Amino acid sequence: MTTQPDSAATPKRFTIPIGPQHPALKEPGFFEFTVEGETVIGATLRLGYAHRGIEKAVVSRTWVQNLYLLERVCGICSHIHSLAYCLGVEKLAGVTPPPRAQAIRVLIAELERMHSHLLWLGVAAHDAGFETLFMYSWRDRETILDLFEQISGNRVNHSINTLGGVKFDLTAEQIVSVLKAVELMEERARYYLDLVRNDPMLGQRIRGIGTMSAAEAHRMGVVGPTARASGVGRDLRVEAPYAAYTAIPVVVMLETDGDLQARFIVRIREMFESCRIIRVLLDHLPEGDLQARMPRRIPEGETIARVEAPRGELFYFIKSNGADMPERIKLRTPTLCNLGSVLALCIGRQLADIPMLLIGTDPCFSCNDRAVVIHQAGNREKWTWEQFRRYGNEALR
Amino acid sequence: MNAVETALQTALEHLAPLNGQVTTPEDGRRDVTINAGDLLEGARLLLDSGWGYLTAITGLDHGESEGVLEVLVHFCAGAAVLTLRIRLARVGGELASLCALIPAASVFEREISEMFGVTFSGSPDTRRLFLPDEWPEGVYPLLKESPAAAGEA
Repeated sequence: MTTQPDSAATPKRFTIPIGPQHPALKEPGFFEFTVEGETVIGATLRLGYAHRGIEKAVVSRTWVQNLYLLERVCGICSHIHSLAYCLGVEKLAGVTPPPRAQAIRVLIAELERMHSHLLWLGVAAHDAGFETLFMYSWRDRETILDLFEQISGNRVNHSINTLGGVKFDLTAEQIVSVLKAVELMEERARYYLDLVRNDPMLGQRIRGIGTMSAAEAHRMGVVGPTARASGVGRDLRVEAPYAAYTAIPVVVMLETDGDLQARFIVRIREMFESCRIIRVLLDHLPEGDLQARMPRRIPEGETIARVEAPRGELFYFIKSNGADMPERIKLRTPTLCNLGSVLALCIGRQLADIPMLLIGTDPCFSCNDRAVVIHQAGNREKWTWEQFRRYGNEALR
Repeated sequence: MNAVETALQTALEHLAPLNGQVTTPEDGRRDVTINAGDLLEGARLLLDSGWGYLTAITGLDHGESEGVLEVLVHFCAGAAVLTLRIRLARVGGELASLCALIPAASVFEREISEMFGVTFSGSPDTRRLFLPDEWPEGVYPLLKESPAAAGEA
């Protein structure tokens, strides 16, 4: 904690640095809060601790290689990143994936939304000091990860999407497992909904805390469940439907209180909606091919692909110059949008509310941080892959 | 006319005072190329009329041969995407910061500023967002001549 020189007439201001490593946050981010007494009067952030240079790296990889790279932007919502990328590239190429592929894409996206919300619920519960809820929700999340493993062989980077469709079909056995899991998820979601609505201890930490009005959420460009908890019905599955959402109308879960509790409730209610969507999908799963044929070179052009990630709108800008590699891919993740807004919202609030306010947006730092460039122009030293590997291993010793 | 087209037409009406050049890159989108000095006014015209929200800011380097750096400021309202396109010089480009209007713009601007070398005047926070502290001054990694990885010249 550092004291800033100030005139004697004004109350003393302190600047409190939080992070990049901090017990309250599981991911690296650096926040600096200026406080007067207990009231926050300034808030800034510094990111980049998990920056990997992905936006730069994509321009020297082929369209297909980038599919694997972009899926690794985030370890939680990996599918939605590859989906946004595929939708954009397919739009440029003028290719429409077969209906069965579109249905499987949405099915996986909804499973991913549920597991992401459960993961968040656990993290938020942990930060509120409610360890039992953390253990419960992460245990339930395993059900979905197991499904991913059953379908694709992978728990995290499922690699379901490919340009022009999907790689994996659903067998009759897998469909039975999915339906069984959906049933369990609904039962658990009912329990969690009751808990976040009625548990008095949790209520004290989340009721009336970090309230954001609809007008604030709208103007600041807040997205996803954070916006929907303030009554702003932003949901791209409804506003700009893609893949199988064009055929399945999604019900937007809205809460109007705008506080932390509303953000809990919105996410849990969305689990019910995900379950419903999955059931409808499986009832009407179209027959047919999994992939449409893609050209190796993508025609020249610019496109924007927007999808509803578990945390909110994910934005991809893709430019092709007609070659086998993209000219530019820009991605804007929902966390960046929401963190910027929440920091602006911190001003004038109690310091003690800040951790829960940040947690309320479900921040994902690896999504935000994408670029560490190894080579520095002023410095001619270049590292080989071997040097890097050694550096990484030695740092661990 | 569908709802998306209606929204885009409304946005274009709001932006009419700027006399930007309007193009349609794909369905549901309009790009309006405006002068660098008009960005703040453009954003104000949209937001004051309640049209959409600032979604992202993309930097687009056209390379040394063209000598142009484009900044794309994307606003979305539902499925409609309206992009204000500004062409800047690749070196020393300057834009007015949107932070006074949209506090959340700060993170987007800081990213463009450190990755492409664009200065946002009037921004309350001009520190780096993603790049490390020891990153050399004046090196902008997303400009085309910046090498992508070790081993590349």
